[in-house]
Amino acid sequence: MASFKAFLNSPVGPKTTHFWGPIANWGFVLAGLVDMKKPPEMISGNMTSAMCVYSALFMRFAWMVQPRNYLLLACHASNETVQLYHLSRWAKFQGYLGQKKDETSTQ
Amino acid sequence: MAAATKLQAFWNHPAGPKTIHFWAPTFKWGISIANIADFSKPPEKISYPQQLAVACTGIVWSRYSMVITPKNWNLFSVNVAMAGTGLYQLSRKIKDDYLSESETEAAVAKR
Repeated sequence: MASFKAFLNSPVGPKTTHFWGPIANWGFVLAGLVDMKKPPEMISGNMTSAMCVYSALFMRFAWMVQPRNYLLLACHASNETVQLYHLSRWAKFQGYLGQKKDETSTQ
Repeated sequence: MAAATKLQAFWNHPAGPKTIHFWAPTFKWGISIANIADFSKPPEKISYPQQLAVACTGIVWSRYSMVITPKNWNLFSVNVAMAGTGLYQLSRKIKDDYLSESETEAAVAKR
């Protein structure tokens, strides 16, 4: 009970924007998870690659910002994972990852 | 002369180009640029969850960037842009999904 109270009143707790900013960013992770069922034609290569670089940079940002923000760090680590997965689906669909059977016969 | 000192001040700023406080928000422009590039894509390809996330993040973070240390105007402006592009994409898709139905119904009725 005491630790929950401490969390509520902490400088990065739910009474502050340091909490809600990262919570909003979890939206990207959720969107990524919901979109996993969609066909790869719908994936935007532009947006997904931008997200991959973005989350990598913001993992560092979350570490260095005052106050240090572990929630933001966790959010971007998760987003990085989800976005890299979507990027691989997109790349595979676009033919960038090559098909082992076809490639050897054409080369 | 004055330009050199101003440049030095920028270079050494706590949210300047030697720090992540500069590069993270600078790169975040990539998301809005990607979105602007996607303005020309057909609305059927827009993802509601993704654009909602972009718009909401932009709005909340515009506030967040003003209360962190150091205060970050670069981050503020990029989030305003994100909110703008996200809301625009959402409006395109909503228009296509809900406001174009009468056109398709009329086309079907004509056959």
